[in-house]
Amino acid sequence: MSRINTVLGPIAPEELGFTAIHEHIGYGMPGCELDTTWWKAPEVRYEETVPKLRAFHNHIREYGAGAGGYVDATGICNGRDIDYYKSLSARTGLHIVACTGFVGGDSALPFFERASVDYLYRQFRHEITVGIGGDTTAKAGIIKVGVSRGFKMKELDLRIYRAAARAAVETGAPIFTHLAVDTDPALAVFKEEGLPLDRVLFGHADDGVSQGKVKQDLLTELGGRIGFDTFGYDLELPDPPFWGRHRQDRLNHLLGFLEAGHVKQALVGADANCSPLGWPGVRGHTVNYIFETLLPDLRAAGVSEDTIHTIFVTNPTEFLTLTPGKN
Amino acid sequence: MSQVNTVLGPVPAASLGVVAPHEVLVSVLPGAQYAYDIRMDRAEIFHAVADKLTAFRAAGGGAVVDAGGMFAGRDVPLYEALSSATGVHIIASTGQMDEAMLGGYFLTPQTNPPTPWPAEKFAKLYADEVTEGMVVPRVERRAAAGLISTAVTASGMTPTDESQLRGCARAAKQTRVPLSFRAGADPLAELAVALDEGLAAERIAVSNAGDAAKPIADQGAFVVFADLDAAVQFARGGYADKTLVTTGGAAVAFGHEVASASYAELLRLVPADLTEQLLIRNPAALLAVREP
Ligand SMILES: [Zn+2]
Repeated sequence: MSRINTVLGPIAPEELGFTAIHEHIGYGMPGCELDTTWWKAPEVRYEETVPKLRAFHNHIREYGAGAGGYVDATGICNGRDIDYYKSLSARTGLHIVACTGFVGGDSALPFFERASVDYLYRQFRHEITVGIGGDTTAKAGIIKVGVSRGFKMKELDLRIYRAAARAAVETGAPIFTHLAVDTDPALAVFKEEGLPLDRVLFGHADDGVSQGKVKQDLLTELGGRIGFDTFGYDLELPDPPFWGRHRQDRLNHLLGFLEAGHVKQALVGADANCSPLGWPGVRGHTVNYIFETLLPDLRAAGVSEDTIHTIFVTNPTEFLTLTPGKN
Repeated sequence: MSQVNTVLGPVPAASLGVVAPHEVLVSVLPGAQYAYDIRMDRAEIFHAVADKLTAFRAAGGGAVVDAGGMFAGRDVPLYEALSSATGVHIIASTGQMDEAMLGGYFLTPQTNPPTPWPAEKFAKLYADEVTEGMVVPRVERRAAAGLISTAVTASGMTPTDESQLRGCARAAKQTRVPLSFRAGADPLAELAVALDEGLAAERIAVSNAGDAAKPIADQGAFVVFADLDAAVQFARGGYADKTLVTTGGAAVAFGHEVASASYAELLRLVPADLTEQLLIRNPAALLAVREP
């Protein structure tokens, strides 16, 4: 029986619908919770968050593709808050898929930094198959891995990649990466662990600071999925982040990929925070960029409705459907 | 009358009685709270710690200092309830341990480049925990921290360790609570860093001092010993007014192996003629909030 894990329990893949593949309810580096600079009362968090999720859900209803999916890419130590996600999902009707794993080695706190590949694998497997944090309803639907700051894969990063690959092979959960740079060591690990690359989304291939550092052709040729998942971090914003990129450049990047015939390997997201946890966030950027800016841009560029449906419905559904024994 | 900041508010230093001056009540290796196979039952934790505090009180103990800092298991509401229930004063600490124990927020912040925190930011974070109260993360502030506690990497002080040690010393000077640090490879050089911030040596306690114990005490700082025999020898060698003792363990620990502490045992093992100096006068002198 095929299923997708959400924070409110598994759903049939047919229920998911239009999905943003890499988002954040709220993200912060480990330890930021100690700094009151970033604290907000829960009522403020909900006030900042619920309208964005509801608008996204309503856009999806209008588009006519299910309740919709919101894949949260916030790793274990980065402020991932399952109880909060459950309430948001239950109150907005949007399916929220939480991840297990880590944004990168530099987001893994000392307990996990010291852990073996085998322990990390069991942590991921438990969160996918049993539940998260003692909860047995909420199960992780995807595994997050990533490259630490500096664009160079570190030993701990790779230990997490290997553990994730093992958990993915066994549970059938997909993997998405923070950054698509320095992928040679990652490719070696996935190969050694026997994980087919259509179960891996190489994320942030489209961000401003990664350009020139991503082996996009190789990853595509090997069957990997490519993440155009920082849509909306435009340098045209009043105060863009350092990873921002010109809106047209990013759009052209995706259009080129589609024109080259790789529609099935494209996954798209906005990497937006509803309410950031340990940083100011980027004002004016929300997941709704997808409906309000990107879809009009794609249509204006002549992208067909079929292609849009493939990118935002078919691909995420196939990717997120657990394939135990097949990965 | 000088006061000491406890989790239930300031109390006169003279009212603390017998103090276990450098302990850890709840020790959590950062991240262990998210481990799939570690169960942290608050009721069990409470009772495990309460039993130790009650035994300490029955043996004549009056206060325990939790020197674990703000990011290694400190749980202020739990400590408040423990103190109320057992009648043992609890002095909790702010600060964080050595670089490897810090979260990425302090090491690789979302800036370009990801520069670790400077001393000034650590100083503010920790001073605020004294002047505005200790944090329950993302929820509220509670009572004032009574100690600023940090550590230097065992193999040698990293630039981030130094920033943090400076920040801690600065915060201690500003808020008038004491500083404690676990020394790394060069205790004297590390003490010099804290002194360089203008904090008086009398306001500093150094653990893991090794061979540097005497020169550290000669400068006026306290030396914390986990080895009781070494502490007694040091005290009897003319340094009784600079000697502090610790069990070196924790009441409860998660995610790593830490010896189980017994505060009653610590009190029982300190020779009777040293009890007054080591467990009453020295802790009171260090913990009293006063001019730096
Ligand atoms: Zn992200």
